[in-house]
Amino acid sequence: MKHYHEDDLILYYYGEGRKRPDIERHLDECGTCAANYREIAGTLSMVVEPPLPERGDQYGLEVWQRIRHKLPEQELPWWSLWFRGERLMLVAAAAVLVLAAFVAGRYLPGERAGSAPAGDTPPTMARGGTAEERQRILLSSVADHLDRSARVLTDVVNTAESRDISTEQRWAEDLLTTSRLYRQDAEDAGEQTVATVLDDLERSLLEIVHSPSQISAADLEQIRRRIDLAALLFKVRVLSDELRQRDSAPADAATPRTSTRKIS
Amino acid sequence: MTDATEAAAVLARARQGDSDAFRALIERHSRSVFRLAYRMTGNEQDAEDVVQESFLRAYRQLGRFESRANFGTWLYRIVANCSVDLMRAKQARHDQARGESLDAAVEMPASQTPGPERLAHSSEIERRVRDALGGLSPLERAAFTLRHYEGRSIEEIGKTLGLGTSAAKHSVFRAVKKLRIALQPLRGES
Repeated sequence: MKHYHEDDLILYYYGEGRKRPDIERHLDECGTCAANYREIAGTLSMVVEPPLPERGDQYGLEVWQRIRHKLPEQELPWWSLWFRGERLMLVAAAAVLVLAAFVAGRYLPGERAGSAPAGDTPPTMARGGTAEERQRILLSSVADHLDRSARVLTDVVNTAESRDISTEQRWAEDLLTTSRLYRQDAEDAGEQTVATVLDDLERSLLEIVHSPSQISAADLEQIRRRIDLAALLFKVRVLSDELRQRDSAPADAATPRTSTRKIS
Repeated sequence: MTDATEAAAVLARARQGDSDAFRALIERHSRSVFRLAYRMTGNEQDAEDVVQESFLRAYRQLGRFESRANFGTWLYRIVANCSVDLMRAKQARHDQARGESLDAAVEMPASQTPGPERLAHSSEIERRVRDALGGLSPLERAAFTLRHYEGRSIEEIGKTLGLGTSAAKHSVFRAVKKLRIALQPLRGES
């Protein structure tokens, strides 16, 4: 005769488990399991709730008096950080820089082309050299950004237990801001694969930023599963390597654009 | 204004940093917070520490609280986790001082069991149960308390303690197994 495990009988005692009707029938027929169950129930019936110390109507006020001078600063929701003065200034400064780079990239080469002997070089080719430089700077910066992001993701992925991840959240938040700007640049530059990986990266960074700072093991497991599922760390590392190779390749080498290669 | 609307208004004010509103929340929830903290820790002084730390933690994280969620449930989780943290810290200090594991302490040798007359005494049973509960790991004790005293389902225990259902279930199983071993002498004599 098949006997039920102690764990099944514990769940049965607490009115849980899917096997309840089967166990109920079985306990009528099986002396061994019935004795085992009686022992479990007997032990648990000894664990009665200890008398609770009384707390009067004024207890709430007493607690308030004890903690009122220790109240910490409230942590603000993640989105409200964008509306803080210093953060707004940082974002504005970054936006101005990007705009300046865009304007410089768009108009400076045109002037150079204009100064070259007419008919020598087509304007598009004259702009090509500068565009390539810009591209290399972008790719090199994105590679650094990917390396930093990989470090934060690795830290979170390797966290085994519930703990305070507020430091990682601050890094992730900063990286998120930068990532959005790089993604926009990559899209403008036609680097579609770079933009896609950055988009995937932003989702995971956002999830880390949104998590409670005292993260639970279950939330950690969920983040880890999503990162694994998207093979994000792998993609980030492969793309970073590829961008560095492109950056170190001779300028005139016919290097394929990242967008032609699919990272999956 | 209905109770629910009033509670929501108080909560909204507390989230904006209104300390009077937070005081109202404390007055409303402190006794249930103490009750849970006492059940979890089994000690009045520890329970008071948990109450204090839970409200401080709640105040700090109030800005992150989703207003659609239930404040009582949210606070309940904070209290349960504060209790686990406090018990872990106590256990670490205790282990350091004794240099031995708690599991060994739970498995009391039969030779140390008191005689039948003493066992028959209910205060002795209470003491043995208290000792046995004190021998559980913080997580086992928390999961067991939520299941046994609070009547929470395994799924709810998992959500409260930030565990998967399987981990929550096994924490309860381990707790019951340890209690069975520790209370075996009482059962033999009863």
